[in-house]
Amino acid sequence: MGVKEETLRYLGYQGRQPDGRTMELVEDAIRELEERNAPKSIYREYRCEAAGETVRIGGLEVKSRDLAKNLQGCGRAVLLAATIGRGADLLIRKYSISNLAKAAVVQAAGAALIEQYVDGLEDAVRESARARGLSLRPRFSPGYGDFALECQKDLFAMLECGKRIGVTLTEGNLMMPSKSVTAVIGLAKTEREPGRESKCARCGNADCAFREGT
Amino acid sequence: MDLKDRFGKELLFFDGAMGTMLQGQGLQPGELPEIWNVEKEDVILGVHKKYLEAGCDIVKANTFGINPFKMKGTGYSCEELTEKGISLAKRAIAQTGRDAYAALDIGSLGRLLEPLGDLPFEEAYEAFCPVCAAGERAGADLCLIETMNDTYEMKAAVLAAKETTSLPIVVTMVFDENGQLLTGADMEAAVALLEGLRVDAIGLNCGFGPDVMKGFLPKLREVCSLPIVVNPNAGLPAVVDGKTYYQVGPEEFASVMKEIALGGVSALGGCCGTTPEHIAALVRACRDIPPMEVTDKNRSVVSSYTHAVVFGDRPKIIGERINPTGKPRFKQALREKDMEYMYKEALAQQEKGAHILDVNVGLPEIDEVEMMKAAVSGLQGITDLPLQIDTSDQAAMEAAMRLYNGKPLINSVNGKRESMEAVFPLAAKYGGMIVCLTLDEDGIPETAQGRVRIAEKIIAEAAKYGIPKKDLLIDTLTMTISTGQENAKATLDALQYVRDVLQAHTTLGVSNISFGLPQREKVNTAFFTVALSKGLSAGIINPNSGAMMAAYYAYCALDGSDRQCADYIRIYSAAQGPSGPEEAPSVGVLSGDGGHPGASARDGETTLYDAVVKGLSASASKAAKQELASRDPIDIIDHDLIPALDCVGQGFEKKTIFLPQLLMSADAAKAGFDAIKEHLRAQGDASASKGTVVLATVKGDIHDIGKNIVKVLLENYGFRVIDLGKDVPPEAVVEAVKEHQVRLVGLSALMTTTVANMEATIKLLKEEAPECRVMVGGAVLTQTYADMIGADFYSKDAMGSVRYANEFFAGEG
Repeated sequence: MGVKEETLRYLGYQGRQPDGRTMELVEDAIRELEERNAPKSIYREYRCEAAGETVRIGGLEVKSRDLAKNLQGCGRAVLLAATIGRGADLLIRKYSISNLAKAAVVQAAGAALIEQYVDGLEDAVRESARARGLSLRPRFSPGYGDFALECQKDLFAMLECGKRIGVTLTEGNLMMPSKSVTAVIGLAKTEREPGRESKCARCGNADCAFREGT
Repeated sequence: MDLKDRFGKELLFFDGAMGTMLQGQGLQPGELPEIWNVEKEDVILGVHKKYLEAGCDIVKANTFGINPFKMKGTGYSCEELTEKGISLAKRAIAQTGRDAYAALDIGSLGRLLEPLGDLPFEEAYEAFCPVCAAGERAGADLCLIETMNDTYEMKAAVLAAKETTSLPIVVTMVFDENGQLLTGADMEAAVALLEGLRVDAIGLNCGFGPDVMKGFLPKLREVCSLPIVVNPNAGLPAVVDGKTYYQVGPEEFASVMKEIALGGVSALGGCCGTTPEHIAALVRACRDIPPMEVTDKNRSVVSSYTHAVVFGDRPKIIGERINPTGKPRFKQALREKDMEYMYKEALAQQEKGAHILDVNVGLPEIDEVEMMKAAVSGLQGITDLPLQIDTSDQAAMEAAMRLYNGKPLINSVNGKRESMEAVFPLAAKYGGMIVCLTLDEDGIPETAQGRVRIAEKIIAEAAKYGIPKKDLLIDTLTMTISTGQENAKATLDALQYVRDVLQAHTTLGVSNISFGLPQREKVNTAFFTVALSKGLSAGIINPNSGAMMAAYYAYCALDGSDRQCADYIRIYSAAQGPSGPEEAPSVGVLSGDGGHPGASARDGETTLYDAVVKGLSASASKAAKQELASRDPIDIIDHDLIPALDCVGQGFEKKTIFLPQLLMSADAAKAGFDAIKEHLRAQGDASASKGTVVLATVKGDIHDIGKNIVKVLLENYGFRVIDLGKDVPPEAVVEAVKEHQVRLVGLSALMTTTVANMEATIKLLKEEAPECRVMVGGAVLTQTYADMIGADFYSKDAMGSVRYANEFFAGEG
């Protein structure tokens, strides 16, 4: 799905066609974000072990039943961090004062852009994995299921996120710039890859207003 | 010999990487290397000695990552590890018998500062202080603040080093492939800030290998008047099985570094991936190369957190609108601590082409220091223009200069001894260019010669504080011609002399010239043009005045500084014909403000109701003003504005209208309400509110767009909103509720983790203010969750909060 369509989905359009002025706002927002786009990423591959509710990725140990399930059978895992930079945050601040609709649209478009960027990174990981006969598990981020947000701290230390890509954590373990993603991607010898299935299918919240398709 | 005396006189060598060496000895990713100062001191000592034997002159102590945030929970204090780190470096120097220096190595805190992050500037400053103090105590010879990628954090670190030690300060930064810091500053902006803070050397480290860094140096040499340090990585890292490897070997490293040295630098060394072998090769290749000659580039420059504004070839516009003088609405906003008015003025002036924004918030009845701090912090969060700090309150001036993320313009000093003694020490400490008014104890000289004499006195006095002439902007004072027609000539003659003979930059508050005359803009524009032709470097004007901006752009086209008239053509070819003399065209810095000044806006037929439903801000404001001529304000609100908002709100709930449209309508309604409020205020009528609501994004959460949307909608429906912002502790919510006796609170949270803080806030409210109701909203919340944490109402979207507030206050009677 394109960035424009994703942006509209985040804005709640659920496939409906927006009016001309909204479309203009969306296009402007994407253009302004792209002008300020400063994508940076880092990913590293580690040995991985998942059993019960314990996951070991390199020197990192995580207690999470959901993550362990996701990484079942994976001998290796990639830790990934990516950001599109702070352009979105600055634009949102500015437009929150001068043009609230634009602020909301930039927020949605920023989310769409970082997703698209991470999808591209995942494709690169997939390619390198495939060459070694490995396939990917869906990417899984701190905050999904019982994979605690607290784990961001360790993940950040391992990837040196501050130094390498300029992403930092707040006291509450939220990422700044806000349009950033961290994730674990399992690599396994077995094919269980769902391919390009909807990301929303992995999530249990069936009532979500932003759920993809139906 | 003292390091400061050697810098710039001989080529000095830094050591290479510490982390890379320690990883080779078993340091795990994520493990804190500084703990080895205590637990494996022999390893650290051994690394230092190898570098010293390789020939380096400056050893970086193993203190890079020491700060209170990273040390929390390790069982070690910052002081302990810092002192141990310095003593190991010094011991290595003593044991090798080298004439070398131990650098207190200071790295980033790993937290992003406000306004984008959650770390207040002063807390960042305080986090650096104990490390600096311990470093000097233990005998460090210099502070090396390195691997910096945020100008604001750099400023906090430099201030901490300056205020807790007397050591030389070297700052090296990481620029990305676009030549910018991660937080967006270009090289000129970063250098302006650091030179303003009077550091001793500036440079680059980490990020790239020497080949890429070489490309950054011409620009750095062009703008920097201080010694230059270059500490690159051994190329880019490659990661194999979680381990990092660097690809540039010692000889290759040294050969590119030699090219860099021949181009001119003051000190060289290495960062990630470099080893004693790299440094030994570097020293062999470069030790006979003379250092760069350090020269004053004589640049007059102020900066913001992104870019520098250089005085010189083209005159600059300083926007004068953020100043309460003669603006009752702004005065009221200041008294009510309503920052939005100021922010809008800032954005509007930027859009009209201002290069620098004057900030004056002086009102006798407010706490100017606090307001100035809030203004500087807030403004640098929404605009990237440099600020001109305009105050006569010395405490407010210092507070603002301290908090400012860049090298500010300071308004002002004058020839009075008292003024110079107050302002110059601040400028010498924090950096800044200074507007110098040519008046003194005897008042304003009537003659040009008198003003020139004061200018000379100020320039001489500034030099005593180490403030060069290039950092002064002389104001030869505009006096109205309505009280004496020779006034213009005196101002302009003095201006020309200052520019041509004293060779200093100049500024004027242009519009004073016409005080007391009719149709002032006519005189102002003519005077502005003449002043520009006499060498005015920067005019303090109202950028919203189309005539003034036209005079400016026309002048720049005439004097050739607007190359090929490019700006003139870009701006004025679109604005056709006599497009109202009042309004300046946008220069396209920002795109539209939500209103569509297109067909429907010019169409007088658009009703207020339609304008709101269609989300046309400009039309809504215009229609409201028209209606006010014949109708009662309350009638307009009840029969046009509210029904229009209801119509849109219902459409939103039925999903025929979506969030962007809802918000466009909200902005349009707000424009309508503002027009009505203005009208009521003019009649001395305080507008009644339907009730007061406190809004906050809870502690730990910094995503506040949802809360901001709710705020605008509530205000449109006539509620007074006390907005506490984001990351708000429970106590602050309770305090606001008690202070203003508020009965309804709205809380937002985005993350599951911060819902716990929402619960804590509700709990405290129920204890301390049991009569208060709480509505909650945010991405992760559900009805079940809201019930669980004891909220009175769960709002699934912004309209829900309006509905609840309406019902709640109606029920209260």
